[in-house]
Amino acid sequence: MTLYEGALDTAIATGAEPVGAVITRGGTSVASYIQPLADDIEIVGAPGETNLEAVLASQPDIILAPGWTSPQQYRLLSLIAPTVAPDVPPYQSDSWIRETRIFARALGREAQGEAAIDKVQRRIAEVAKLVAANVPEGQRDAAIVRWMPQGALVMSPGIFSATLLAAVGFDVSDAGLVNAGRPHSHPLSEENLSAIDQSWLFLATLNKDGKEALDAASRSPAFRRLQAVENGQVVAVDGQEWTSASGPLVAGQILDAVAAAVSGRKP
Amino acid sequence: MRRTMTTRPQSVCTKAFGLAVLVLLMTAGASLILGAGPVPIADALAALGGGGSEEARFVLVELRLPRLAVGITTGLALGVAGALLQALTRNPLAEPGLLGVSAGSAFAVSLAIMLGASTVTLTTLVAQGGALAGCSFVIAAARMKGLGNDPIRLVLAGATLSGLLLALTSLLMLADQRAADEIRFWVTGSIAGRQWPQLLAALPTLLLGGVIVVAVAQPLASLTLGERVAVGLGQHPGRVRLLVVLAVALLVGAATALAGPLVFVGMVVPFLARALAGADIRKTLWLCLPVGPAVLVLADTVSRLVAAPSELPLGVVTALIGAPVLLAIVRARRMPTL
Repeated sequence: MTLYEGALDTAIATGAEPVGAVITRGGTSVASYIQPLADDIEIVGAPGETNLEAVLASQPDIILAPGWTSPQQYRLLSLIAPTVAPDVPPYQSDSWIRETRIFARALGREAQGEAAIDKVQRRIAEVAKLVAANVPEGQRDAAIVRWMPQGALVMSPGIFSATLLAAVGFDVSDAGLVNAGRPHSHPLSEENLSAIDQSWLFLATLNKDGKEALDAASRSPAFRRLQAVENGQVVAVDGQEWTSASGPLVAGQILDAVAAAVSGRKP
Repeated sequence: MRRTMTTRPQSVCTKAFGLAVLVLLMTAGASLILGAGPVPIADALAALGGGGSEEARFVLVELRLPRLAVGITTGLALGVAGALLQALTRNPLAEPGLLGVSAGSAFAVSLAIMLGASTVTLTTLVAQGGALAGCSFVIAAARMKGLGNDPIRLVLAGATLSGLLLALTSLLMLADQRAADEIRFWVTGSIAGRQWPQLLAALPTLLLGGVIVVAVAQPLASLTLGERVAVGLGQHPGRVRLLVVLAVALLVGAATALAGPLVFVGMVVPFLARALAGADIRKTLWLCLPVGPAVLVLADTVSRLVAAPSELPLGVVTALIGAPVLLAIVRARRMPTL
């Protein structure tokens, strides 16, 4: 039973068979990238809103919970099955690796866990070469933004996709807008969009289709003035993958999108 | 207390109108000069005179100016609609935000967003349809024995309708997570990022609403003297009521399409206008023209200053301004039926 997107990703990457999961933020089921691999998985709630009765009904052998599970919730979950909530500081460059190891060990699949991490590291090295070859030094500054109706959210350089971007050579910035320990800023006033004026802009919504975000953003005159827009270096990305998920499987998707973007291909 | 309910000499009203226009000009100026962005005030002032940095000119002309225009239009529509509703229901607490007119409008828009509506013109018409439904309910409730004669009970009935409609809107959000963000944004109310196309789409029906208001102001003033007097003066109360409802729906619908359901603006503005000009609905309507925009533009300017670099939703600010005024009206027992 996985109550955290990173746990679902890791469980499937290591070959385990999760019986239940929570929906992805803003979606109605698990994230689309993982749907084909988690066919017919039972939905037992939303992030942070677990339906305990549904968890109980599916009689899990082990529960993989997010690190932010409250002590009360942890106690209740432990009454149902042994529960693992990784005590890893969030928004660090190696948070995902440490979480993956903990979840893999809990599942008794340490070797598979290490293999999954290695696979991501190799792909990082490949994409890093692509970036080095295709993006001139000094033009590798980037920001990840989630475009919401109430304004742009600047994502923290500590979120999973941002750490991958940094690992392949981008210089990810939040322009000092994100408070420590937070995944993203408050919705930014349109007047302050220039604060995220980077060479590259990775633009997402919670919708699967980043293109929709791009269309919405393009209607904003402040957005049209950004240098990333003028240089054609706005990359529309899947918000489910980029701003919500984590784990070895989604890492592959994110790195593929970066590779496609820097080599000028459509992802 | 009675003082505000009596008609004042013409010169006082003219002065009050002049004062309100002056305040509006000042708030409009402030909304162009002050914002959540990094443009210094001196730079913004220079840009106002045609100079200044390129950044300042962009922020003023492309971001703050359309927003100011939308704010002025919304404030005008909500102020006038509030005054009309108060005169019609003879209730100084009546206003589109409290009585469910705005909520009806927002619910219709949410439904449309969920069904995939995207064109701004469609949104305005849908919002006006929702407002018309909400408005009809208010009038039906106001004409109910017992309920309509008691200002507070009418407001309670309206609040119940608003609550019900907001709950239905939340249900829509649960059903469609994708539209939820957009709808949630709507329901809080904001004029951030509004551009000229939205304003242009709302203008024709707003103008129509304005024409109806001009035509109906005199008969409505007679109607406030009592139905019998009005009939004696040759008016048709039913027809007047219908036209007022139509005008309110057009105005509130357009305002909601532009800014979402904003509470309290429609109550605070006529309250201030009456305090300045007395109870005659025609004078109140005149005063609402500058007072409404001034209140809304002021609230919007506050909304972007208190939480920079982000912004507070405008609906939160209007509620913060409006709630104490509501309490003041009720506590001061300024509760005569109008």
